[in-house]
Amino acid sequence: MPLNIDWQQILLHLLNFVILFAGLWLLLYKPVRKFMNARRETYEKADADAEQKRAEAERLRAEYEKKLADADVQIAERRERARKEAEAYEEERCRAAQQQAEAILSEAQASAERERQRAVKEARGEIADLVASATEKLVLHESASEAYDQFLDAVEHADNNGGKA
Amino acid sequence: MTKKQTAVFLSVVLAICAALIVGIVLTNGLYEKNADIQESMQDAVLHEGDKIWLFGLQVNPGLISAYIVTGVILLFALAVRIFVIPKFKTIPGKFQLALESAVGMFDNMARTNSPHRNNFLGAYIFAAAAYIFLGTLFELAGVPCVTAAGECVILPAPLSDINGAIALGFLSYFIILAGGIAANRARGLGRALKEFSIPISMSFRLFGALLSGLLVSELVYSYLSLSFVLPVIVGVLFTVLHALVQAYVLAMLTALIYGEVTEPYVKKRKNRVAKHETTSEKEVTV
Repeated sequence: MPLNIDWQQILLHLLNFVILFAGLWLLLYKPVRKFMNARRETYEKADADAEQKRAEAERLRAEYEKKLADADVQIAERRERARKEAEAYEEERCRAAQQQAEAILSEAQASAERERQRAVKEARGEIADLVASATEKLVLHESASEAYDQFLDAVEHADNNGGKA
Repeated sequence: MTKKQTAVFLSVVLAICAALIVGIVLTNGLYEKNADIQESMQDAVLHEGDKIWLFGLQVNPGLISAYIVTGVILLFALAVRIFVIPKFKTIPGKFQLALESAVGMFDNMARTNSPHRNNFLGAYIFAAAAYIFLGTLFELAGVPCVTAAGECVILPAPLSDINGAIALGFLSYFIILAGGIAANRARGLGRALKEFSIPISMSFRLFGALLSGLLVSELVYSYLSLSFVLPVIVGVLFTVLHALVQAYVLAMLTALIYGEVTEPYVKKRKNRVAKHETTSEKEVTV
């Protein structure tokens, strides 16, 4: 053969390379690649887990923020409601106090009126008694002029007492 | 000028003078040819006079180199498998990082160039590249061996033997062919056969590149005057760089063509529809 090409030696070279290829694949390439793949999968899994946890944390944060916002709204609503209730209660109390005051006042006025009427009635009774006693005195013990003077004094006195009463 | 600067200046001057004197001595009779150069270069290419006995067969020195390289690589791999890989850590050390980088580089090359059926391809190009690279560096070791004629030869790179280069080139082609058939049946076979020049080009590229280094080295060593300093440059240029470049080229070409032939066939229906529409439009305009 030209250039010293020898089929037997080509086959010997092929045999040599096939042995080398098989040996390298089994001893070096496959175990190293397996280790690298396992490590890559570990990191990818860790990465995916971290991403999942981050997404979960993000979701929870959004949820909490929403809850906080809702709580603020609820607090404001409740505060407003409490304020309105307090105002209504205050108004009610004022109204009740006013009514009570008016009732007390009207009662006091009625009581005073009753008292005045009673006093006037008593005064009238006393005046009548005085008139009767004066008349009796005049008629029975004193002269007519004295009796007349005493009558006038008694009337004046009675008027003064009735006006005060 | 300080004492230190003076010392440096004198050292430089003395070094230049010494180099000039050595050059003057060595250039005496530089262009006289060595009578044995043609014979040694012919032996380097054809290996007709330096056959070696191997299990009762007379073989080229390159084959002996191939078996030695394979033995060394497999021993190394076995030691790594037993002592290093079980102690691999999640955060790699320097040696583990080097191993992972080598495996990862070829695995990545296989994945990017051949997105389909790349598991086997990655292992193949890893083994081929390791064989080419370490086999080429093997010639720097200068391992001596006795020929069948009783002479001493320095074992060359395995792929500077044309039989080794043909074996690797054709094996790469058969791997591509097998990948094409496994992925696309007859269409894959057709795609692979279409690239019939690959085995020849791969084989002779490897052989030519590595042989050129060997020939230049033989040429340089044939002259005594060129055997100083220059072999270091030649050795680096034609051995280390060839080792890297040829390993990368074969791995990349194999991965690329393997990727082409294993690519799943997709029917181009859209183009047909588009063509049909355009022809109908033309008919309308006519």
